[in-house]
Amino acid sequence: MTKRRTGLRGLGVALLLIWSLGPVYWAIKTSLQTETDARARPAHYLPTNATLQNYSTLLSGDSDIPAQVRRSAVNIVVECGAATIVTVVLATLAAYAFARMRFRGRNVLFYAVLATMAFPAYTTLIPLYRIMSTFGLVNTYTGIVLVYVSGFLPLATWILHNYFASLPDGIEEAGLVDGARRLQVLWHLLLPLARPGIISTALITFLFAWGQFLFPLVLSSDLSTQPLTVVIAALQGRHVVPSTLLNAAGVLAIVVPAVLALAFNRYIVNGLLAGSTK
Amino acid sequence: MTVTSTTAEVTTAGPAPGTDPVRRSRVDLLPYLLVAPVMIFIACLALVPAVFTIVQSFYKVDALDPPTRFDGLGNFVRLAKDHAVIGSLGNTALYVVIGVTLSTLIGIAAAVVLQRPFRGRSLVIAILILPWAMPGVVEGILWTGIFDPNAGLINSVLSSLHLSDGNAVLLGQNRLLTIALIELVQVWQIAPLSVLLILAVLQLIPSELYEAAQIDGCSAWGAFRRITLPLARPGIAVTMVQAVIATLNVFDQPYVLNGAANTGASVTMQTYFISFQDLDFGKGYALSLLITIVTLLVSLVVVRLVYRRVEL
Repeated sequence: MTKRRTGLRGLGVALLLIWSLGPVYWAIKTSLQTETDARARPAHYLPTNATLQNYSTLLSGDSDIPAQVRRSAVNIVVECGAATIVTVVLATLAAYAFARMRFRGRNVLFYAVLATMAFPAYTTLIPLYRIMSTFGLVNTYTGIVLVYVSGFLPLATWILHNYFASLPDGIEEAGLVDGARRLQVLWHLLLPLARPGIISTALITFLFAWGQFLFPLVLSSDLSTQPLTVVIAALQGRHVVPSTLLNAAGVLAIVVPAVLALAFNRYIVNGLLAGSTK
Repeated sequence: MTVTSTTAEVTTAGPAPGTDPVRRSRVDLLPYLLVAPVMIFIACLALVPAVFTIVQSFYKVDALDPPTRFDGLGNFVRLAKDHAVIGSLGNTALYVVIGVTLSTLIGIAAAVVLQRPFRGRSLVIAILILPWAMPGVVEGILWTGIFDPNAGLINSVLSSLHLSDGNAVLLGQNRLLTIALIELVQVWQIAPLSVLLILAVLQLIPSELYEAAQIDGCSAWGAFRRITLPLARPGIAVTMVQAVIATLNVFDQPYVLNGAANTGASVTMQTYFISFQDLDFGKGYALSLLITIVTLLVSLVVVRLVYRRVEL
């Protein structure tokens, strides 16, 4: 009986792994082939005559497409990095106050933050575009980062609130008795304890930002701010772009999130669970 | 005492908190300063835009037909007459039904597989969340290689098995097939979160319950139906709400996999086309207001139906 159950579980795990990795494998395989091999019938299930040609084209080629991919890779790193830093700093301050201080109107303000999470993100797509265009922030890093931060703050505040709330009572009092100021207590006592929560929040924010497509599609009009996702989608629409090169660009776009997800999966899983359940 | 000096004064006056009722009665500004940036962001870039959407959906806001003017239900009437919009409502309903069903079933099945600890489980979970971590657009690219009519994996396997000539056009012809395959790609992205949420709830079930059930002669299937499923309901409810929100607003996957073709266009795609290609912002506002209301209502219904019955 237990043997059968272990067997079933093995089968289930195998299916899960194939489901999760199959499409990634297929893209990596395609990106390592020449266009002729990739179009072969029947398809090669292994990368015959594997070559890194597509990657070297993308990373050091002079032509149009590699230059676009490289520039948009810089953009996505800048935008996601800035959005993550601003979000985590602001959310930490607010979450600390919401979780560990008493003040008039606290619940009302906190519920207002949480209520915005119930709305689908795209509710604000058009007005945000028009606000940004009124202030001349369309097609600027600032505009994109502002929109990302406003979108990610509620979830970040919520996750961090839960971490701060889970820390034992009395930490502040102990610190204050020692004569520390309240912000020093936050900095020296609470932040180190909440570090797992802060790392989780930063990772989740960064990954969300990395995956954005419709907002930057609307908010950035040329290569000066377009992130990798927007450029890759545009390349896909052009039939002249070889599928092997396109897949190589796709693999480049998933390397960063994949490495983060594999290396820090415990933080991500904990953060997601802290953010989704009550 | 001036406002600016208050915080400095309070922070240095810390030594004996709670002993000084006079100090306490004065408004402490520090918490307000700490939450202010977040509140300002949310007010300016979430609440104001939301109000904009509600108000301006009753206005004619058209870059090609200025000026902005009150138009009553004009936008909604124009939406109701727009065949592309009506078609996209049906498409989106299919995305939601297929996506919520599949991601919930996969979530439950995978969570049961991972319920008990085994060697390498955390690695399996790490690999499982990979699709969640990737951009939807790039996932569209990855799956294009699988659905491709010429060299795609599916066609290749079909022709190797002599089931077809291997040139089947999978996307863009048959509406149901197109939507099902596109939604499969979105499920690939959202199911990992479903698994995690349900798994988290399953971890809370005491193993004694299963042992007792086994002693009572309960089969594995019976234990699943009588113990696992009822106790997993809170997790399933949260999972389904997440899936509803994601699928009702699906954009990246149909946009990349199927372009502007009406066969699989979602409501969010129509909102994008109306607002940013036709520049009829008023109509776009009205449509996004409708999606928002439907999203909130459906989420509420799901929570009521699935979550409530747990308490019984």
